[in-house]
Amino acid sequence: MCLADLEFDYINPYDSSSRINKAIMPEYITEAALCLFYLVTGHWCMSLICAPYLYYNVRLYTRQKHLIDVTEIFNQLHAEKKQRLCKLFYLIVLLFLAIFWMILTALEDHDMD
Amino acid sequence: MGTENPGRPSFPATPFAAAPPTMTPFSNSGSVVGSEASNLRPMRPTVPPNTSPPMTAGPAGSGESPAFRPAPPTRYNDPSLPTPPSSYGPPAAGTFNRFPTPPFGSMPPGPPARAPVVGQPPFQPPPSQVSPPLSFRPQGQIPGVPMGSPPPGVNTPQIDSSFPASRPNFQPSFPPTVSGYPAAGASSQLPLPGYVKQSNAPFQAPQGPPVQSPFQAPPVGYAPSAPTPSPQFLSQQGGLAQAPPVASPYGLHSRDQIQHSSTMPPMGAMQGLIEDFSSLSIGSVPGSIDPGVDSKSLPRPLEGDVEPNSLPEGYSLNCNPRYLRLTTNAIPNSQSLVSRWHLPLGAVVCPLAQAPQGEEVSVLNFVSSGIIRCRRCRTYVNPFVTFTDSGRKWRCNICALLNDVPGDYFAHLDATGRRVDLDQRPELTKGSVEFVAPTEYMVRPPMPPLYFFLIDVSISAVRSGMIEVVAKTIKSCLDDLPGFPRTQIGFITYDSTVHFYNMKSSLTQPQMMVVSDLDDIFIPLPDDLLVNLSESRTVVEAFLDSLPTMFQDNLNMESAFGPALKAAFMVMSQLGGKLLIFQNTMPSLGVGRLKLRGDDPRAYGTDKEYSLRVPEDPFYKQMAADFTKYQIGVNVYAFSDKYSDLASIGTLAKYTGGQLYYYPSFQAANHSEKLSHELTRDLTRETAWEAVMRIRCGKGIRFTSYHGNFMLRSTDLVALPAVDCDKAYAMQLSLEETLLTNQTVYFQVALLYTASCGERRIRVHTAAAPVVSDLGEMYRQADTGAIVSMLSRLAIEKTMSSKLEDVRSNVHLRIVKALREYRNLYAVQHRLGGRLIYPESLKFLPLYGLALCKSTPLRGGYSDVPLDERCAAGFTMMALPVKKLLKLLYPSLVQLDDYLLKPSASADEFRKVMKRLPLTADSLDSRGLYVYDDGLQIVLWFGRMLSPDIAMNLLGPDAAAELSRVTLMERETEMSRRLMGLLKKLRESDPSYHQLCHLVRQGEQPREGFMVLTKLVEDQTGGTNGYVDWLIQLHRQVQQNA
Repeated sequence: MCLADLEFDYINPYDSSSRINKAIMPEYITEAALCLFYLVTGHWCMSLICAPYLYYNVRLYTRQKHLIDVTEIFNQLHAEKKQRLCKLFYLIVLLFLAIFWMILTALEDHDMD
Repeated sequence: MGTENPGRPSFPATPFAAAPPTMTPFSNSGSVVGSEASNLRPMRPTVPPNTSPPMTAGPAGSGESPAFRPAPPTRYNDPSLPTPPSSYGPPAAGTFNRFPTPPFGSMPPGPPARAPVVGQPPFQPPPSQVSPPLSFRPQGQIPGVPMGSPPPGVNTPQIDSSFPASRPNFQPSFPPTVSGYPAAGASSQLPLPGYVKQSNAPFQAPQGPPVQSPFQAPPVGYAPSAPTPSPQFLSQQGGLAQAPPVASPYGLHSRDQIQHSSTMPPMGAMQGLIEDFSSLSIGSVPGSIDPGVDSKSLPRPLEGDVEPNSLPEGYSLNCNPRYLRLTTNAIPNSQSLVSRWHLPLGAVVCPLAQAPQGEEVSVLNFVSSGIIRCRRCRTYVNPFVTFTDSGRKWRCNICALLNDVPGDYFAHLDATGRRVDLDQRPELTKGSVEFVAPTEYMVRPPMPPLYFFLIDVSISAVRSGMIEVVAKTIKSCLDDLPGFPRTQIGFITYDSTVHFYNMKSSLTQPQMMVVSDLDDIFIPLPDDLLVNLSESRTVVEAFLDSLPTMFQDNLNMESAFGPALKAAFMVMSQLGGKLLIFQNTMPSLGVGRLKLRGDDPRAYGTDKEYSLRVPEDPFYKQMAADFTKYQIGVNVYAFSDKYSDLASIGTLAKYTGGQLYYYPSFQAANHSEKLSHELTRDLTRETAWEAVMRIRCGKGIRFTSYHGNFMLRSTDLVALPAVDCDKAYAMQLSLEETLLTNQTVYFQVALLYTASCGERRIRVHTAAAPVVSDLGEMYRQADTGAIVSMLSRLAIEKTMSSKLEDVRSNVHLRIVKALREYRNLYAVQHRLGGRLIYPESLKFLPLYGLALCKSTPLRGGYSDVPLDERCAAGFTMMALPVKKLLKLLYPSLVQLDDYLLKPSASADEFRKVMKRLPLTADSLDSRGLYVYDDGLQIVLWFGRMLSPDIAMNLLGPDAAAELSRVTLMERETEMSRRLMGLLKKLRESDPSYHQLCHLVRQGEQPREGFMVLTKLVEDQTGGTNGYVDWLIQLHRQVQQNA
């Protein structure tokens, strides 16, 4: 994800865009899997929080805008960076929530015992 | 100013000598001088002095205000008032009498009085003091204000200076019909330089009113100029400002018109202001139907593009504006200033622009010592660097780093700090130079010029005759391909399969190999598909000879364009070069096949509209990126008569720095001339191979976005696999720091390329621009051409992501914002009330804005322009240099019948004939023959009542036939020969495209409609604004929340 910043100066657009593009599909799939996992295991609250992110990805994908376009990469640099930072931020919050939840449940379990 | 009277001596003898006094009002004020001087500068004849009216004048003016203050009417009689020599014209005399008695205020009523009043004997003052014409504006605004009379005698010097300026402009035989101009002309002396020319015209018009004869007697251009200025000045003082009196005598003057500078309050203090901007009084009568604007006097770029020339002397080392033009030659020093400058801020660069004979860029060889560059910012040595430490160090002008001067390059400094060898160092005296690059600048040996042809041979290509024309043209160009003897050449043809040709020099006939596996295309031979032209010349010729016949009976309708493209890529990727694609059918097989998504009328006006204009299949973008990576430039020639999705295919050209040529419904019979001319030019013009371009600029500013046909290789490195003189690139600036501290910023464009001869070269253009803290100065130094070029590129880019409607309103909005900001700058303090004011430098901006909104890529909606044509025009406009773009936006319209009827015509006369007319239907006289030339095509318009004689002479027996089927050819008549000669000259003046000549007769619909009428940008057509309405609309919006 942070490749966007990296190629700012040194990598040429061909490499950077192909690297970024390679990472995009796995990312989407993991995200989707995670969301589904939450849903299936009954953590509907977590899966609800994941949903907007998933929806955003799906929307990008259906519009064919999920991949980076080599030719326009420099014009889109700013927007892309912003988008990715937002995503990252969102993911971090998600992570914290998940951990918090985990600890909470662990504690609860502990109390139950 | 008083000192410089060079022109003066000659004047006294003539009646006009009296004229000079006209300036008097100003001269008394003395203050005028500073400002005027710059305006009147003789060196810029075509550009009226006003263009850069100094703001600075303002202060001076105020000081003098007393002089300007309205003088009592009696003043009028003052001897100082001009009394032109009696010779001035009998007609004038009559009117003149009237003046003396009535106070000025009373004047307004009598139109006759306005005549240029001149030589009344009683008044004869010393010639110098004479100020002849008093002009009253017909409408008689503010009659009550007395005119200020100038103190006697002071003014003369002023006048003189004005003379030289006026002279060059002089233009004989302006048609009398131009009623609006006289007024403009008069005013032009100060505020509107552009008009000068027109103002003179009335005087010379042969058919003109009686007055003219007196004028003619005196040395040519002078007479008119003298009278004109004076009225203007007088009126200004009085606050009448309105119409230049001159005009009225002729009776041509219409009641309403632009009043430049007329707006000033009676106070004299305004003088600086006067020169500062131009204004239009628009909508002065709210609610009335007649807008009160005389369309004839609106500013029009009839002179074509005029390069701004207003920079002070210090910038004479700049490279010629044909290489680099800034949108404003004054760089703002703070972010806040940038945010108030609503126009684009940046540069338009045409690195290889064609230089006229004798001004070519000199090539320097530094291979032995290495090219001198700054250690830190890598700037090339240029005229703006300074040498210090007795010549041992030099300071980089861009980053201010002190660099050592290498031993080989050392030279002593003389007493003034100049290098003693300055004269032998073009790189230190010229803004544009070319260095021969040593091997450090190469990643591989310089590539040979390489041309690869990808030719569609499906049935439609055969039927249209395209293959034959192409083969013939290529064959005729073989001798002229640049780079002999290293030139390489190769061919692939394709229909539903891909055909390769082995052209090994040992063969006598080319071998054809067919690959039909489209999913996994491969190259049948490792080499020999791409051969050295000089070695395999006979094989290549044999191939080109047989090509048209080879596919004569081909009935294949499919096109495996994508796989063929990949094949070409594989063949070329070793070397790079130029790929020319001749494409006739929608790609229908293999990768990159395109759907017939068509031009969907329902999409227009919706949010999906833009998607028609962006490439459908990412394959093409990806291919384009790969092509650029391997230094392959693509030129696409598209011929289809049906929709062929140029939006997708054109991206190949866009991202490889190429060009898209579009020949809708190509038929060899009609278009072969155009195709072969343009293909020839494409093949033979000097081309720069495997080029990269970078533009450096001083600390604190940065180029942030680039617009044009190319691909960015890193944030500021433009990759151009093949560049030539017909391509220009635009880039926008932004400030990195909130405040710039330096006085000057420098720009350096460096283009590193391989010349066809195999030499690696660096072309460097350097320019400097002052940093200013004043918004007014930015406006004054604005360059309309560059701004329009930038605006059009931005607009076209925006069509790729939004509705046409939005794009147009965006252009409109930007102009409104810019004018509003300008208005805020001046209007309030000067009580400009209801006038539209604009800086002199931007007087054409509204018109070009309108023309842009009506240009092919932005015009109308679904039914107005076929989608392919729209896309093609968009690609073309993204690459055009400034001058050509302006010509395309505001084409020239010229009346020819007079020229053809006149017996003899010399080259000198040619220039006179080429007088451009305003682009409105009113300019078209049904008795005339007109030629319309926008740089891409020529249309000959035959008036309905054109004398049959001319038509017969030009068209022979075809004259009566429908003109769409008639082709113009040279006939045995003198007239025909002259017409053809003229067309040839027109074409020579712009060789980058071949302007095909279309004939249209008045009233012949619908051809007349789409060929001429919709292109008359000043007219109201199909729901678009006319020029006048557009200005009124602009004006209203400028005033809202002003």
